[in-house]
Amino acid sequence: MKKNTPPTKASKSVSSDENAKAKTLAKKPSNPKTSPKSATTSVTAPSSLNIRSYQVGFGDCFLLTFNYPKAANADDRMRHILIDFGSTALPPGTPPDQMMRVAQDIKQQCGGKLHVVVATHRHKDHISGFTTQEDGSGTGDVIARLKPEAVIQPWTEDPAVLDPVIGSPKDKMGESKTLTEDNAPNLQAMQSMHVSSLMNMHAVSEAMLAEVRHISDERTLKQPLGAGLTEKIRFLADDNRLPNKSAVENLQRMGKNYYVSHGSKLNLSKLLPGIGISVLGPPTLEQHDAIRKQRSADKNEFWMLRAAAQKFWGQQAATGKMLDESTSDEKFISDEDELFPDADTFNQVIPSHNRWFVRQIRAMRGEQMLGLVRILDKAMNNTSVILLFDVGGKKLLFSGDAQIENWEYALSLDDDVTQLKDVEVYKVGHHGSRNATPKTLWKNFEHKSEKATEKIRLKTLVSTMEGKHGSRANHSEVPRQTLVAAFNESSEYHTTETVAKEGKLFEDIEITFP
Amino acid sequence: MVSEPRPRTRKLTIIAQDPSVTVDGKILTAQIDIPAEEIASGPRGYRVHVIDYNVSTGTLYQSGVYNPLKNGHYPDPFEDAAKRHQDGVFLKNPQFHQQNVYAIVMKTLARFEFALGRRVNWAFPGHQINIAPHAFADANAFYSRHDQALVFGYFQGQTGETVFSCLSHDVIAHETTHALLDGLRERYTDPSSPEQAGFHEGFADIVALLSIYSLPNIVSRLLDVNSPEKELIDPSELTVDKLQKSILFGMAEQMGREMDSGVRGSRRDALRRSIKLPPLTSTDDSDKYENLPEYQEPHRRGEILVAAIMNAFLGVWRKRIEKLKRGKAVGSKLDRQLVVEQGADAAGQLLTMCIRALDYAPPTDVQFCDFLSALITADREAVPDDSKYGYRAVLLESFAAYGLHPPASAETHGGWSMVDNSDLTFDRSHFESMLRDPDEVFRFIWENRVPLKLVEEAFTKVISVRPCLRVGPDGFTLRETVAEYIQMMTLTPAEVETLDISTPKYMPKNQEITLYGGGALVFDEYGRLKYHVRNRILNKERQTRRLKFLWQYGFFDDEKGIQNPFARLHLQRALDLPTNRKETF
Repeated sequence: MKKNTPPTKASKSVSSDENAKAKTLAKKPSNPKTSPKSATTSVTAPSSLNIRSYQVGFGDCFLLTFNYPKAANADDRMRHILIDFGSTALPPGTPPDQMMRVAQDIKQQCGGKLHVVVATHRHKDHISGFTTQEDGSGTGDVIARLKPEAVIQPWTEDPAVLDPVIGSPKDKMGESKTLTEDNAPNLQAMQSMHVSSLMNMHAVSEAMLAEVRHISDERTLKQPLGAGLTEKIRFLADDNRLPNKSAVENLQRMGKNYYVSHGSKLNLSKLLPGIGISVLGPPTLEQHDAIRKQRSADKNEFWMLRAAAQKFWGQQAATGKMLDESTSDEKFISDEDELFPDADTFNQVIPSHNRWFVRQIRAMRGEQMLGLVRILDKAMNNTSVILLFDVGGKKLLFSGDAQIENWEYALSLDDDVTQLKDVEVYKVGHHGSRNATPKTLWKNFEHKSEKATEKIRLKTLVSTMEGKHGSRANHSEVPRQTLVAAFNESSEYHTTETVAKEGKLFEDIEITFP
Repeated sequence: MVSEPRPRTRKLTIIAQDPSVTVDGKILTAQIDIPAEEIASGPRGYRVHVIDYNVSTGTLYQSGVYNPLKNGHYPDPFEDAAKRHQDGVFLKNPQFHQQNVYAIVMKTLARFEFALGRRVNWAFPGHQINIAPHAFADANAFYSRHDQALVFGYFQGQTGETVFSCLSHDVIAHETTHALLDGLRERYTDPSSPEQAGFHEGFADIVALLSIYSLPNIVSRLLDVNSPEKELIDPSELTVDKLQKSILFGMAEQMGREMDSGVRGSRRDALRRSIKLPPLTSTDDSDKYENLPEYQEPHRRGEILVAAIMNAFLGVWRKRIEKLKRGKAVGSKLDRQLVVEQGADAAGQLLTMCIRALDYAPPTDVQFCDFLSALITADREAVPDDSKYGYRAVLLESFAAYGLHPPASAETHGGWSMVDNSDLTFDRSHFESMLRDPDEVFRFIWENRVPLKLVEEAFTKVISVRPCLRVGPDGFTLRETVAEYIQMMTLTPAEVETLDISTPKYMPKNQEITLYGGGALVFDEYGRLKYHVRNRILNKERQTRRLKFLWQYGFFDDEKGIQNPFARLHLQRALDLPTNRKETF
């Protein structure tokens, strides 16, 4: 059985599939009056672009509308790309149905037809809007009915990678021991292991939510964990819990899937005439390995660490599950212990000479859990698709929540660095956090300028919400103030915080092409 | 009525290695001797307090009952279960788990006190270390000075069974050694260099391994697996290669498969890698290993130290075996029991040397080379004539094989230089107070800050004054005194640069940098200064290297998440998490 395709192959098959797809598209144009020829010949390049930046609180949602006023056919005069649609928190005063209002606006703006959807990665704050309801009343149903032609996601979302057949590391690769003995790793198995680690991270997040609910519960514990630590763990664990299944399935179903990695060729030129798209991330495991090799003399080091990490997350997930089952709220209240059912325990009162330590160890555990969710949050962010659009010589960069570990491959390649120099629009990574705009990238941008009157001045766009993530006290606040200051100083800065303050649904940013 | 003297030790049942090591399908247990005491519920004794609280489920387990002295001995509550091989008790009774950690921690502590001839204090203000044998559902176990504790997690193993880290002898001894080392050299947990962090890990492994190798029945079990139980053993089974295979790799195999948890990294793989670490060849640079990127990671760096010591162990044992051969025909068989005893003795002596060497190691920023000179010095003090087994020569050779040589400041024999007392003033300090009082020692240091070459501007503090007792070669007891002082300066990057110490390129201008230095002062029985083992605070090369490492590893990063250095290291190791501060806003 050969239905599984590793991403490197997938990217090749994407191009050939796309040619086939383009042919079918050309054969079956949405408007029967238009001949396929006129559709492709008259529309060559867009003359302008509108970027609609929606106010989704802590989340991302951008609608890119490319205008082709010269197209003969009215249906061909616009092309729409939706990049992410998700939220984890809305600012106070925002209507509760904000996400539906956004979905309806997208529908209206698109005139009923969406061309491309990009889901940069599977965090709730990027894909919750794709959730569907059984009766078709979900925001994701609205989007699905816009029948996008293409859905772009990172290679880690490819269901084939997690195929159970290759998803069993033991059969394909043997135990981790064999890896230390210079056996070349089975790439497919490693990919599957990596993706299964990501899946396990969701399970760990779920377990953390259950555990933190328990250790911060005053009903069951006399000295619950402090609210500050609890809230931090909750926020991150919630964003990393298993995404709504319907959202994931909706993305798999609503259009043709493109699971991409650095260097994937998309060939969407027929669907998006005159719009070049380069995929700069996420890197494949082999590409990660290449970076690692620059730092290590041990050629198998990277793969050994992969195997160890997979084991780690598998173990954490299994352990969390064990806990999840034994810590349902009802059981907390009961006296029965799951670990040692026959053991004698202190049910009501903790003896005085144990109280200090019980308080200490609880805080220690809280800190430990926070450390873990931070790590898995970062791993998930680093699966983000990084897209560089090149339209009429203008470049637009959308990087999801990619952090340095994702960026470092592209930034190690001279060609990519050169390509990135003249970016004119930068969608700020990870809601303006301090570690998602690598300094190398920022320094490389040539169109930074302090002068508002500059002919070509970098535009920076951020979708964010203050006070949800990190803290100023330890310089981890999102958005990071030093970064915001740099954006304000050297670019035309747009933030959805302003949109929220004005009580608006979105902000439009116009770009014209020469 | 004549009262019998109360026993000095008592026996308690423990799991010999971990539950995966079985004989005839039954868990291998052992009864070990530990210092005797009337154990309160917990178990709670004079140095250890087990508090069996599980954070993840919010459960506090009750402890077993330890009956007082009866008929001249203390009953061992699980002796009967061990005799009947009731494995269910060992796995499912939390009270046995409590006893297992209590006994192994006490045993490890007793081993340190035996080597040093004095009480070893914990690094925190308190006499009893707290131990949580089922702290949380997590594949992790670590020492925390802040919480005055050793915590052991439990997790789900690969076959779905629950694995308890509190049942692994190796893990308990390793974590206990972290706590004991922290008590002896409190600044070794400071963020400093891959080598200092690696020293903590490597030393903990060495103590755990040599403790196990000093048990003759374990050595016997590992030796010549192919022809066990015979009274004689063929010398061809005892070559270095064969011993490596049977004794060292054999141990790696014995380390429980379940304990191969991600968080601690695979102990088996680590030990295997240590043993296989190839000695440098004549064409290699002596700093080959320390320059390799993977050895910047503390656990990996620690493997180099483990390799040097384990090979020295085999080297000494080989020399002892050679002695057994003397007077016998070439190739004739040797008494197996004697061979085993020689091995266990060699491990025990090497372990004592390693623990004693700590008194002669610098109090801050320790490097493996410093430890080598400390080992040589400690041994020269205890055994001036090394001709019998040549431990020192073996150690020097074994370290040299990995590019580790005594530092430039050491003597040609590899040990530290003695101090010339002629420049020092003793007139204004008092001998008796100098034996115990940090203020008195500080007075001495301050008085002599110029000849001792201290930096006057730095904050200086005497952090310990300890007696160092041992039996001299002439049979008399020697009492020396070891005092540790540290020096600290908190500066801005610009100020640091004026001292010719380089700071990382992207470090913020207002970053506070604390530089550390310090020394160990060893006074002889007359109160004269014998050794001054130190790291100068203004050592440019060392401080530059330290700042570079700290920056790369994110120690200046405020968002550490996990503050406990051991818990953080375990995670960094498991998940490969170097930070890249230069890219961060």
